[in-house]
Amino acid sequence: MKSSYLRPALALALALGLAACGGTETFTVAGAIQGLAHPGLVLTNNGGADLAVAANSTTFAFPSSIEYGETYDVKIKTQPAHQTCEIDPNFDSDTAGRMASINIPVRCFTNTFTVGGKISGLTTEGLVLTNGTAGGTVKVAKDATAFAMPNPVPYGESYGVTVLEQPAGLTCTVTNGVGEMGDAKVESVQVTCGS
Amino acid sequence: MKSLYLRSALALACALGLSACGGGDENLQLGGAVYGLTKDGLVIQNNGGNPLSIPANASGFAFPELVGSDSDFNITIKTQPVSSKCDVVNGKGKSGAYGIYSVEIRCETFSFDLGGKITGLDSDGLVLINGRDRKVIPAGATSFTMSIFKEDGTTYVSGRVPDGQPYGITVFQQPKTRTCSVANGTGKMGGAALDNVVVTCI
Repeated sequence: MKSSYLRPALALALALGLAACGGTETFTVAGAIQGLAHPGLVLTNNGGADLAVAANSTTFAFPSSIEYGETYDVKIKTQPAHQTCEIDPNFDSDTAGRMASINIPVRCFTNTFTVGGKISGLTTEGLVLTNGTAGGTVKVAKDATAFAMPNPVPYGESYGVTVLEQPAGLTCTVTNGVGEMGDAKVESVQVTCGS
Repeated sequence: MKSLYLRSALALACALGLSACGGGDENLQLGGAVYGLTKDGLVIQNNGGNPLSIPANASGFAFPELVGSDSDFNITIKTQPVSSKCDVVNGKGKSGAYGIYSVEIRCETFSFDLGGKITGLDSDGLVLINGRDRKVIPAGATSFTMSIFKEDGTTYVSGRVPDGQPYGITVFQQPKTRTCSVANGTGKMGGAALDNVVVTCI
């Protein structure tokens, strides 16, 4: 008698348990964004409609949610201005419902470019150039006709190349050595050396 | 007969084995990692013992004296390096069966104000930079530092230069009605604030 209650009860519990996995739950394809400072980022899900993400956003969510068991695959269609974003490849695509919710991490970094230029008249050793304190120093060998500072400069930051140490017997001057980094590397600094 | 040899041999092996664990043997290395040490002069000790000097730019250290297992160690700083402050992390503990390499010494080089004198600046707009560090200089200023403070005027934000590091001050933006030039604007920071940069506006 006892077991005849137990069995139906167990069957019911199992049925309820399975129903909880249910086919009707919906999921929002969403995520968190770090470091986005400029406009222009466009994301797509499964190659569908564009989702434009505003500058300084820290989250995103696609407007149309997906059903349990459907797959999603979020990609960057367009990078924002002055930055490069990336989606963690371990979390960019999956099947809805495998996790309790969908949370896709996107990280954005400001683009960096080198600062450099041309050198003339450098016939001796000893020239050392610096870009302030954080931009690094470079020792330039004699007879060099070009140089680049070691530390790339992020978009929007200033740079100022100066002579930290003069080469033996020569005096070098820097022209066009100051500016603000744009969207391409700087090769227009001119170092002119003479006795 | 055979078993008597065997037993003796076993007993000997056991005795040797135990003595190898011995209390008197000091066979473990005590050391660790060093971060951010740009200056000479750092001296550390273990349990107040023989001093160990660590040179500038070292990335690790190990005491020449070995320590025994199950013994207490306590690494302290006897002398701080020039223009720096170091702290010991995980410096105190008891040795186990293996060498200790988990001690960390974290150092920070002191930074100092960088600045100088200004003449002839009678309009706004001058911006000086040291690479990426910017400083807006108001009209009428006769001196400047590159240091930036919060609105309360006392909480330091940025702009100082660590001892031994290069700097190069240039004009990023000229003032409205003058043209300024920088003399003596490039060098290496020493162990005190610098105020010998000369900005002349004509």
